[in-house]
Amino acid sequence: MWLVRPAQPDDLDQILAMAGTQCARLSSTLPKQGDALAYKIEQSLASFAGRISAEDDPPRFLFVLENTETGDIAGTAGIDARAGNGQPFYSYRRDALIHASHELGVSRRVEVLYPSHSLTDVSLLCSFSIRPELQDTDAFELLSRARILFIADHREWFTPRMAVEIQGVQQEDGSVPFWDSLGRHFFDMDFETADQYSGQLSKTFIAELMPPNPIYVTLLSETAQNAMGQPHQITVPNFELLQREGFQPGSYLDIFDAGPVLEGRTDSLKTLVTSHPKELHGTNEDTGETCLIAAGEREQFRCTLTPVAETLDDKLKVPVATWKTLNRTAGDRVRIAPL
Amino acid sequence: MLVIRPLQENDLDDLYAMAQSAGKGLTTLPADRELLQKKINHARETFNQRIAPEAGLYLFALEDIQRKKTVGISGIQARVGLDEVFYNYRLSVTVNASKELGVHVRTPTLHLSNDMTDTSEICSLLLSDDYKGGGNGLLLSRCRFMYLDEFRKHFSEKVFAEMRGVSDAQGRSPLWDALGTKFFDMEFSEADMLSGLGNKSFIAELMPKYPIYLPMLPDSARAVIGRVHDNTAPALRMLQSEGFNFNGLVDIFDGGPVVEAFVHNIRTVREGMNRHAMVTRKPVNLDVPADERVMVSNRSFRDFRVTTLPIDCIGPDTVSLPPEVAEALQIESGDPVRLAPLKDSGMLTKHSYRSSVPGGASKWQS
Repeated sequence: MWLVRPAQPDDLDQILAMAGTQCARLSSTLPKQGDALAYKIEQSLASFAGRISAEDDPPRFLFVLENTETGDIAGTAGIDARAGNGQPFYSYRRDALIHASHELGVSRRVEVLYPSHSLTDVSLLCSFSIRPELQDTDAFELLSRARILFIADHREWFTPRMAVEIQGVQQEDGSVPFWDSLGRHFFDMDFETADQYSGQLSKTFIAELMPPNPIYVTLLSETAQNAMGQPHQITVPNFELLQREGFQPGSYLDIFDAGPVLEGRTDSLKTLVTSHPKELHGTNEDTGETCLIAAGEREQFRCTLTPVAETLDDKLKVPVATWKTLNRTAGDRVRIAPL
Repeated sequence: MLVIRPLQENDLDDLYAMAQSAGKGLTTLPADRELLQKKINHARETFNQRIAPEAGLYLFALEDIQRKKTVGISGIQARVGLDEVFYNYRLSVTVNASKELGVHVRTPTLHLSNDMTDTSEICSLLLSDDYKGGGNGLLLSRCRFMYLDEFRKHFSEKVFAEMRGVSDAQGRSPLWDALGTKFFDMEFSEADMLSGLGNKSFIAELMPKYPIYLPMLPDSARAVIGRVHDNTAPALRMLQSEGFNFNGLVDIFDGGPVVEAFVHNIRTVREGMNRHAMVTRKPVNLDVPADERVMVSNRSFRDFRVTTLPIDCIGPDTVSLPPEVAEALQIESGDPVRLAPLKDSGMLTKHSYRSSVPGGASKWQS
């Protein structure tokens, strides 16, 4: 059975092994270095426990997808309660200006990328990674949407607006067209290095090295222009899932690879709107519609998939095996959402 | 004999013929009769002081007296950027550095600027091909510095010239192709022509207002920023020898450099000296090489005239003029004149005249 639960220190080696097989972009939100990852897990546990709420060090949660039969970790997903985690969060805002001359009878739309901190402090879904073979399974949906169920039950920790950064276009040879056309000139390093720094270091280096003025899109290379707002091939399933969830591509782009930033209103997210609190009860049948089921507050939070035999009023009958996975017993409060 | 004098009504035909044969690239003098007529009128009103000093356009003609033909033109615009906005790019440097990472990157950047606003511009120089060489170009260009010197209060302390930037034989500019066309869908030659017709600030309004980071432009475009067209290299050298220097501004279309100098530092100004005219009946051989001649002006605001004389004519207090030169300058014996070297090599000092005229001595340097 697939289970989503808070990441634990013991998960470190497995997460590292999995992160090593993913392509470069993940490093910015999921460190590839042991000590950096250990720190992130520690931060996450403190956040779940409610020990972190300081303004300058906002909560950041890391979940793992576990195969309960084998104990294997097959994916990670995170939420940063405040994008930027107390520091500025950088994006480009894609905007347009009309350059017009009445005298010459000419009018032209000019696209401009403005450096922006507007998404700073917005709750951010992040650190999403999953074993490639699970891309088209229910486990994939479970891992991504479990976070929304967590938010539903801990709504006060999160902001009314939410955002997700989607990895942008990267060529087969590892080059990133948008980076090569823009960032490389200013940061004087390759994409992977910059991306790793942005995961490890304070974001000060972005403030120091990023070009301070708006960028005219028309001066970027054609491949860079084409890459703007496009998701990387491997993120397409997630990109589509998040859009079904209610996230929309807006005018923000990642500053490194120009991947789209999706935005949503927390209280309108589909999982949040369609989920319901129920009282847990048992059944011996394991037929019925498969649903997401989440239970437990804070560090006790667990989320899994379960067949739901029937729901009457606010009582929910699910197989007892599900109870075990959730660490709950009859009469406890759970939350379910349809797949 | 070639004489500089203010542009006149009857110069229109010669001017039009000259502008036609010059072709593309001379944006300040397009082959357009109506526009040229306007410029002549503008210049007439300027010399007659019928318009505000800052609106002045001082255009000088180089006339071949014997043939009664205008063979060159040069000008000074009293102030730029007052009626319409005058744009340049300033070539500057943006530094991004991170101590933490040991990164220090210098990025050449173009900033749109109006820094030349309210400054006098020397402009519109054009000389017939038949008359090139023999110091005629020097006379045509340098006579303006004598005028600036005489009538400083009509001009800014600093003057500048925009030098034509790089374009190929087909009239294509690498900078325009990489930058201008991205914002304004037009060939360089066409935009350039529109500029000459007085539409430059309209076009500039369509151009990017935010800084342009040069690494984002192709190498071909970056290479021409601040460089002059091959045909303009001699003019640039001449201005450099006068003390003009690149001031960091470039043309927004073709990237040609702007050079500037303070009037009091211009060599023609520093090395000028005053004499009184003495019309002589002694025959003078006027036909000597350029480096043995000096410029002589009649110091008139309204009817400014300049021609050249052999250096030998300069005396301690006076300068001897044959009658035909006096007539060309419209002066008589005893009238004040001003002299300045024609060539670069400081011929006046070589002859080591030390003027006994107090006004002249004070002007004498090096």
